[in-house]
Amino acid sequence: MIRNLFVICVALCLALLGFFSLTHREPRADFTYVNPSGIHTLDPARMSWLQDFRVALNLWEGLTTWDPQTTKPIGAAAYFPPEISDDGLVYTFHIRSDAYWSNGDPVTSHDFVRGWRRAIEPGTSADYAFLITDHIAGAAQYVQWRQETVRTMSALRSKEQNDAMDSAIRACANQLPKRFNRVGLQTPDDKTLVVHLKTPCPYFLDLTAFATFLPIHRSIERLQLRYLGTPLTREGLIAFDPQWTKPDFHHKGYNGLVTNGPYMLGDWSFKQRARLVVNPYFREADHIRCRTIDMLEYENVSASIMAYEAGDVDFLTDLNVPYKHELVRLAQTGRRTDLKLCKVLATQFLNFNCQSDTVGGAKNPFKDPRVRKAFTLATDRNRIVHHVLASGDRIAHSFVPPDVIAGYTPPQGLGYDVDRAQSLLRQAGYPSGDALGTVELLVTAHSVRLGEALAGMWQRDLGVRVELRVQESKTFAQNKAIRNFMIARGNWYADYNDPTTFLDCLATANGNNDSGYSNPRYDKMLADARTESDPQRRAEILRKAEALIVKTDCPILPVSHSSELIAIKPYVKGLYPNPRLWFPFRSVSVER
Amino acid sequence: MILALTRRIFAGIVTLLLVYTATFVMVVSIPGNPFQSGDRNMPREAQQALRARYHMDNNWTFYAEYLTGAIHLDFGPAFTYSDWTCNQIIASSLPVSMLLGLLAILIALLVGLPLGVLGAVHRDNPIDFLGLFIVILGISIPTFVTGTAALTLFCVYLKWFPVGGWGTLRHLPLPALTLSLPFIAYIARLTRGSMIDTLHSDFIRTARAKGLAERTVIWKHALRVAFLPVLSYLGPATAQAMTGSFVVEKVFGVPGLGQHFVNAALNRDAGLILATVLVFSAVLIALNLLVDLLYSVIDPRIRGAL
Amino acid sequence: MITVTLALAATLALRRSHPVRWTLTIASIALLGLLTLAALATIPWTLSMMNVQQLDDAVRHAPSAAPVLSLETLTHADDSPSIVTRALHDVSSWMGHDDLGRSVLFRLLPAVVISLGIGFAAAGIAVVIGVLFGAIAALTGGLTDRLMMRLVDVLYSLPYVLTVILLKIALTKPLTALLGGESAIANLVILLVAISGVSWLTMARVVRGQVLSLKEQPFVEAARAAGAGWTHILRRHIVPNLVGPVTVYAALVVPQAIMQEAFLSFLGIGVQPPTPSLGRLASDGVDAVNTFVGYWWLIVFPCAALVLILAALNFIGDTLRDAVDPRAKSVMM
Repeated sequence: MIRNLFVICVALCLALLGFFSLTHREPRADFTYVNPSGIHTLDPARMSWLQDFRVALNLWEGLTTWDPQTTKPIGAAAYFPPEISDDGLVYTFHIRSDAYWSNGDPVTSHDFVRGWRRAIEPGTSADYAFLITDHIAGAAQYVQWRQETVRTMSALRSKEQNDAMDSAIRACANQLPKRFNRVGLQTPDDKTLVVHLKTPCPYFLDLTAFATFLPIHRSIERLQLRYLGTPLTREGLIAFDPQWTKPDFHHKGYNGLVTNGPYMLGDWSFKQRARLVVNPYFREADHIRCRTIDMLEYENVSASIMAYEAGDVDFLTDLNVPYKHELVRLAQTGRRTDLKLCKVLATQFLNFNCQSDTVGGAKNPFKDPRVRKAFTLATDRNRIVHHVLASGDRIAHSFVPPDVIAGYTPPQGLGYDVDRAQSLLRQAGYPSGDALGTVELLVTAHSVRLGEALAGMWQRDLGVRVELRVQESKTFAQNKAIRNFMIARGNWYADYNDPTTFLDCLATANGNNDSGYSNPRYDKMLADARTESDPQRRAEILRKAEALIVKTDCPILPVSHSSELIAIKPYVKGLYPNPRLWFPFRSVSVER
Repeated sequence: MILALTRRIFAGIVTLLLVYTATFVMVVSIPGNPFQSGDRNMPREAQQALRARYHMDNNWTFYAEYLTGAIHLDFGPAFTYSDWTCNQIIASSLPVSMLLGLLAILIALLVGLPLGVLGAVHRDNPIDFLGLFIVILGISIPTFVTGTAALTLFCVYLKWFPVGGWGTLRHLPLPALTLSLPFIAYIARLTRGSMIDTLHSDFIRTARAKGLAERTVIWKHALRVAFLPVLSYLGPATAQAMTGSFVVEKVFGVPGLGQHFVNAALNRDAGLILATVLVFSAVLIALNLLVDLLYSVIDPRIRGAL
Repeated sequence: MITVTLALAATLALRRSHPVRWTLTIASIALLGLLTLAALATIPWTLSMMNVQQLDDAVRHAPSAAPVLSLETLTHADDSPSIVTRALHDVSSWMGHDDLGRSVLFRLLPAVVISLGIGFAAAGIAVVIGVLFGAIAALTGGLTDRLMMRLVDVLYSLPYVLTVILLKIALTKPLTALLGGESAIANLVILLVAISGVSWLTMARVVRGQVLSLKEQPFVEAARAAGAGWTHILRRHIVPNLVGPVTVYAALVVPQAIMQEAFLSFLGIGVQPPTPSLGRLASDGVDAVNTFVGYWWLIVFPCAALVLILAALNFIGDTLRDAVDPRAKSVMM
């Protein structure tokens, strides 16, 4: 009897668990693709992963977007081109009359201001806030004032002066509208947005297509965290309940995520799947062929390839597997026409520590540019890229990839010359490789092969003892941030279609300047380029600046320009490989 | 009995508190910024703002606030996947892990028990050695090897099952089977040893003397007694199956809690680490308690010792 | 003295009663011994060759059974490189090369040493900590005993792999500082500490149980009555009775530790490259499984080595347990 009871209990348990975990599967979506790393966040202001951008830019629509084949900026929610003043400092955008949100509301200029403001608010902690603060007049000052408030609040909180905190919050809230008015964004009416820039920016229309510049629907204000009736939290931040990105969050009068792009979010389960469905209010909704799109999350890339081969998946990106070289070979020889190699605006390089005198107690030889130049000359990039990496990447002799940005040809950097390398080392005071001591190379598990190949190469050609330190990505990032490395691997994806997205990284005190390189001449050249309005002269200034990097000072060692391997089933039409990896799904059709 | 039960529950709660403290200490001493991902560095002000928002700037307040939240079953936000709360993550993945674990244990019982009994009955025969061979292989082949082999064979070449993932009944058999292999081995071994013992005991001799059929003697009478050690193993085993399936989850792409824990640990996501550890420990303690209860119910001799 | 005699007696009894098991056990010990000896003996060569990358000509090459010291090799006696170098080059392709052109054979042999080293070291640490902990808890009794056992309970309530992962991540920074900077050795030590940090628990419980039951035995009481000190009792009565169970559990910790290391390497937090270990080589091989091109030598050799070693160790442990305590109902945790 007890045994029967036990069996019934177990069966009930199984049934319950099955009910809760085996989610109901609707019919297969029109188009299925895989996002290997998963969605980190759907908040357009906070996202920094390419895969997240891909989803966001299909859910929302900015003032401009990129052409799927040429990746040049074209019109989106605003008529194109906008009115631009003669000095290039004032842009006037007119929002389309047929631009609507997924709940039927028309898209207004206030939605854009709301979105841009969120992106620079300290409470959002956006990685890309600098895109707005660097260009829009008054934005940087506003942010500075806001950060002062947050610091004041933090100081008051640690002293536990509650009354002072409350009055400070109220004072700050009173000043908010006045302060924000000083930012160069004006909305003369619901359909017009006037943007004032600090300095002319030739790629501004390229930027406005970026996720940071997306509009946000006003329903988000229902989920604003308020303290004492002000739009601020107790820490002085402007923050919203993170659940606003959920399609099914119906609390406090909120009706779920509202977007204005060709698709809206139908369903989203953590680390499993996101389903996009056509936004019925989108102006071209009737022309969109794929009515539902499934984004699956497969952490194991090999498994996603197997699913693709089995026909469960229609589109794969970023195929990074140990046998990638085999897939690249299949793509390059044309044996598999569904595998395509895209030249990407990204560079893999090594950071030399140009600032510290010692690293972990040992002397840092890389403060001397001659040593850096020697190591650069002793790196056989041909062998690394074609034999070790063998993943279709191109050899990098410059920081900015060639042939990708129109109107800019990067300078040719240093080649492979072991004799010159050795003589440079001798000049720098190191008669042999041993005199350098143990050189440490910092990598993560992803780039172990590269690290091992480099270590072997330098040991052989320069006689240097190289120790490879493989660390987890978090520890690695920490060590890079505090400059606890001699050489560390780096990777940079372009944020926009201009050489400055790469070159700014090496400006003094730039947040992403891991090597600590600081050269006033270089900074001056970048500043000159910023104010130069003639595009050809500007390109020449930037080219000279980059030559300083890759030929003379060598704070970084460019290794390869990335190529991404993607797989598109032959029955999928409308996806064009491009260096931005920009894939708008509204032009995709699947003819199975 | 009620008193003993209450005492056990109280001990369990104390254990959970200690587990929480131990994990908290480990978590705050791990270097690494949970809020940064990818190659770009996060601006310092942004970091500070986030730490202020999540009340992480002071370890003591964080400890107290998190504990208060945990008691109300509110585990706070996940730091790396900022759109989700820990509660949502656990609610979506705990049933998955539990289902997988429970199925694995059931399969292990269904296969392991007969295997062990046969080994005991035909001791030192070729059948016994076949069983021994299976057992030793079961605990010597790493799960990622068997899993990948099964995935490649059954999903890619034979196309019997979908290639990893989760959501329908067809996604269940392969991961559950892979996970069950080591448990089949242990249960078979335990049953065999215990069965050998029981078959030598007095009451079995009496049963045989009474003239009962050998099959009844073995399967009805001996097994019931020989099952007890297996039962006491089932507690930790089920907990281990439910919470230790990281590798199977990684190979088959099953969105279970184990995988989230590993990622949280690698991402330094303090909130999610604490949440998963607490949930796992609670499951373990609860299962141990359940098994001890069952033990006392099945074996009246032990009821008093609870 | 007594221990050795007991062991011999048990062994002979086993041979008589279970001949097949006896043969298999001897075979396992022989296999392990041979592998270990081969791996250890070739260390001078494998250690130097294990990270040598032949990027030009040997990337991802299949195995080739190149005959060592063929007539051709011998007749080129005057040319450089030396015979040894050429022989090594030939031998290196017996199990193929990986994607950096490194010989699988020359990585497999040190990997065997490292994995077995991790296993035995973890067992050793588990024995030391477990015995001390359990014995002290049992002998002191009272509140100390309860507290110590509560600690064991708490650690038991944490899922095994969770604790190992957390320990490894948490201990990396302090131990690295302690060991004077990061290196392959430091990483191995950290991994070892993490794995053995949870392996001693069962040992502690078993030892405590044994010592508790022994403490109440009549012969101990008699010895106390005769005026013997605790040291004497420990040495003559308690420790010899502990040897059996402790050996059994230690023997079971070794394969467990090797398996845990394999799991951790698969998850990416085990032994760090370029240091080879059986777990790392096996997971690298598994990662390379695909439907386009077969790299069978990257999977078959490391996995076969791993499975054989683990099977041999598990079998020996199992036999020991049968011999010492066939009624052991506690679990291989």
